[in-house]
Amino acid sequence: MRFPVKTMTLTALFAVLTAVGAFIRIPFPLVPITLQTFFVFLSGTLLGSRTGALAQLLYVGMGLIGLPVFTGGGGPQYVLHPTFGYLLGFIAGAWTIGFISERFEKPSFKVYLAACLAGTVVIYAVGVSVLYLNLNYVAGKVTSLRQVFEFGVIPFVLGDIIKMSGTAALASRVGPRLRQIQRGAGVARGR
Amino acid sequence: MKFLNNMTLGQYVPVDSPVHAMDPRCKILATLFCLIGVFMVREPLGFALWCIFFAAVVSAAKIPVRLVLSTIRPVWILVAFTSVIHLFFTQGTPVFAWGMIRITHEGIIMAVRMGLRLMLLVMFAGMLTLTTSPTELADGLESLFSPFKRFGFPAHEMAMMMTIALRFIPTLLNETDRIMKAQIARGAELERGGPLRRLRAFVPVLVPLFVIVFQRADDLATAMEARNYTGGEGRTRMNPLEWSPRDSAALIFSLLFAIAAIALDGRFFTL
Repeated sequence: MRFPVKTMTLTALFAVLTAVGAFIRIPFPLVPITLQTFFVFLSGTLLGSRTGALAQLLYVGMGLIGLPVFTGGGGPQYVLHPTFGYLLGFIAGAWTIGFISERFEKPSFKVYLAACLAGTVVIYAVGVSVLYLNLNYVAGKVTSLRQVFEFGVIPFVLGDIIKMSGTAALASRVGPRLRQIQRGAGVARGR
Repeated sequence: MKFLNNMTLGQYVPVDSPVHAMDPRCKILATLFCLIGVFMVREPLGFALWCIFFAAVVSAAKIPVRLVLSTIRPVWILVAFTSVIHLFFTQGTPVFAWGMIRITHEGIIMAVRMGLRLMLLVMFAGMLTLTTSPTELADGLESLFSPFKRFGFPAHEMAMMMTIALRFIPTLLNETDRIMKAQIARGAELERGGPLRRLRAFVPVLVPLFVIVFQRADDLATAMEARNYTGGEGRTRMNPLEWSPRDSAALIFSLLFAIAAIALDGRFFTL
């Protein structure tokens, strides 16, 4: 597995972007929106499956080695945090989004939107199952899947729809250009 | 943005102590042994041994107790919750009953056991990040994972990207702050209006942020290639990791201690 240096730097910066996104909070009905998942969607759509997942893996890794980049801080003890599953979901979600958008030569807005939707489903599938396992087996509180669903998914749906459409709009414009650049077709860089 | 201060240090507390001076690889492995050991004890004796060991490590590391306790903060709800649940919902001989509420003898034992176990696990894991800087940890992990290179695991690349990310967290946070201020100065209203309006107000912040990210990534890649960066093969370090006999001794001691604690606890072996 060899990495072009450009891919390495871009992946690292997307991991940092996700960390920055965790701190940008926008007050919203029910729960405040953070831009975290927005950058998860973007790493999937813009970087592709392997690199996008790697960027998210880096983000989770950064938090686990003690940087306060998660919404609730950081450190290896975060593995026990009930919401740790969502962070694992980011890795799988970014991969899914990348995988779907890579199937298309020129992905349109709709393709990106569908990819983000699939990625979101993956994030919640992983997140909710870990939340469920954590509550039932680590915390020892018997909680039904339905209850977990009610506070683990429903409050975020509206925000996610907005973030998904935002990502699709951005990616459908930037994505094709970026692929051109990565293929080596030189594009003049304005400074 | 106030969280910017000391962001790249994370939880790391730079102190001159024998624990800080240990090789990061030794600390990672020793922490692993301790975590497994803590997980496998269930009697008071086992917990007492681990508490003494932990206190010894903390005092050797010269870390303020207040900071050690603060590592529990992200999961304290979980710890409290777990204990309370076990306290009230464990069947057994009641010692206290009031209406619906019954506290059993077994419940108290379970609550203390689960609470202590979680707290020790969290604090041992926290000690690793309190005494080891993120860069050292990344280097240590790279070295520990390098045998997996032959199976295609990009150990060096991961560590390199981690280092780049650490370097760029403050930069990008600064840039974000600067862009937000610049847009506010131009009349952008980031803090007012309904939710949708606020979200849309962030577009002029995100667009320059993206431009900066792509430019920085490009510049950095060019700079690295100009200096002939070709990946991990044959690359030397400025501060190579040094495994001293003291590290071997510490590692063997922690392994033996974990085995002894489990054995004395009498769960798997009876003495």
